Amino acid sequence: MKATLTFTWIQIKRMFRDKMAMFFTIVFPLIFLFVFGTIFSNSSNAQFDIAIINNAGNDFTTEFIKSFEKKDSLKIVDVSSLDDAKEKMGRGEIDSIIEVPAGFGEPNDQQIPHGELAVYYDEAEPQAGQTLASVMSGVLDEINIGVTKIEPPFKVVQKSTTTTGVSQFDYTFAGLLAFSMMTMSIFGLSNQLPSEKKTGALRRIKATPFRPRQIIIGMTLSYLVLTIVSLSVMIVVGTLAFDFDMHGNWLILAAFAILGALVMSGFGMAVAGWARNENQSAPLTQIIAFPMMFLSGTFFPRFIMPEWLQSITNWIPLTPVSDGVRMIVTENAGIVELLPQIGLLGAWGLVIYLIAFRVFRWE
Amino acid sequence: MKVKNIISVKNLTKRYADKTAVDSISFEVRAGEIFGILGPNGAGKTTTMEMMEALRPIDGGEVIIDGINVAKRPSKIKHIIGIQLQSSAFYDKATLSEQLKMFAAFYGRNINPMELLNEVELTEQARKYPEKLSGGQKQRFSIATALVNNPKVLFLDEPTTGLDPQARRHLWDLISKIKARGITVILTSHYMEEAELLCDRLAIMDEGKIIATGSPRKLVKDLLARGFKKDQVVEQANLEDVFIDLTGKELRE
Repeated sequence: MKATLTFTWIQIKRMFRDKMAMFFTIVFPLIFLFVFGTIFSNSSNAQFDIAIINNAGNDFTTEFIKSFEKKDSLKIVDVSSLDDAKEKMGRGEIDSIIEVPAGFGEPNDQQIPHGELAVYYDEAEPQAGQTLASVMSGVLDEINIGVTKIEPPFKVVQKSTTTTGVSQFDYTFAGLLAFSMMTMSIFGLSNQLPSEKKTGALRRIKATPFRPRQIIIGMTLSYLVLTIVSLSVMIVVGTLAFDFDMHGNWLILAAFAILGALVMSGFGMAVAGWARNENQSAPLTQIIAFPMMFLSGTFFPRFIMPEWLQSITNWIPLTPVSDGVRMIVTENAGIVELLPQIGLLGAWGLVIYLIAFRVFRWE
Repeated sequence: MKVKNIISVKNLTKRYADKTAVDSISFEVRAGEIFGILGPNGAGKTTTMEMMEALRPIDGGEVIIDGINVAKRPSKIKHIIGIQLQSSAFYDKATLSEQLKMFAAFYGRNINPMELLNEVELTEQARKYPEKLSGGQKQRFSIATALVNNPKVLFLDEPTTGLDPQARRHLWDLISKIKARGITVILTSHYMEEAELLCDRLAIMDEGKIIATGSPRKLVKDLLARGFKKDQVVEQANLEDVFIDLTGKELRE
């Protein structure tokens, strides 16, 4: 026991002294975090880029347009003419054009200001046009009430769930945590151990009473520590830079992350223990890691897959990891809700460690 | 005085698909002596050592070290022997004293690494990583790791190969010191001078067989008795003496 812990402690020290290992522990996950964070934190508050063509030019219209500028969901892009705006919309730079016709807001026969707004949208993106049209109707409804002083008896109240629920970033971030657990354990281990077989460092240990199972346990524990450091850095940066909003219990997350990282290390350890050198471990690692990466719902949700594929990917070992982390982080799942994930992970862990103990080779 | 044998090797054999690497060899090693196994490359020296060290399965015959059968109780053997391997390395990015502590822990022991490092004259390198050591320092460190469990028998596989003459002499001194502590040393070499200087007794191996055993003096005597004569007059000094005389005995590291 003491031998294993001493071995683990030396491994941890070595990793923290290794610039390459530190890059993959800290910098590499942060690069992913920044890339995905930047992509998903923008689209989370669904902003529309719009152009306004003002043909009316009266005080009423100026006031009217000003009320748009206050809306967070609208970003007004400068354009020189309707044609310029249409061109920009064709390139996808703006989502919609609002044309205010001449005479908009001028009083009609009953001395009430009136007018008709035109909302142009791209045929390819009818949703943007519809959303914007309803936003405009909302704005106009309020003006209508102000002008006619008649409160409409029936109204629609829009309530967004994203403000109180889960932002897209939080959803993606949970996947990133799972992804990081996998890459750290599988790629790290299956690279390190075979190269130490090649240098002869493991051969020297073979000459001592230290046993293979102690190597497996020691390496697993050291990678567990490294993974926890990596995840902690990601969570701190995710919270500070991207407003990661933790909905669940931190202790449950920590315990679940340890279970997930242990199972993932088992895969790394099985490959690393078996392979005589990196030439053997590298392709095997890819075969194991890439399907996990793309099929387990870390980066894109599994519900977009066809049913038959989902029924297979349910059983991939990274699936319960990313599902579980997501359930904790976004839905405040407790142990009971996580039981299916924990059960599946436990089964995979048992199988993979049995294999790892079996196939270990000293050199 | 009755000499006590600490190691007994009987009909030890290792077979590979295409050849017999070690062919039914037998010899004895006395407690406290330095025993050399000499031979050209590929003679089977390392294979013999590795079978004795319980690192390689024994195909035939047996090895008894201090009353323990190597094939039957390999883990017990590991506790009483120290090994310096020919083709091994140490972890990078772990200091010498950290590694010594780790190796001691493998044997369930607690040691003061500085004592061991002092013994192999590496106290100044205690906080260095092995990859920063010179060839001679690496070999001395390797011997230090082999001593962490206070072994009864120390195996050294070609300890001086690749070292410069100064470092080699330095290592010879160290090996003599270890012998003085009462540890039995078994070493392989292909340097005759080294064997002559260090070994109390030796075995000469070729093509998997032991072709001669005895003390260096006895082996030379036997040769002369067979009527051997050197063509040249024996020189009073050789080129190595010139080299050491000119460059000094100081260690260059």
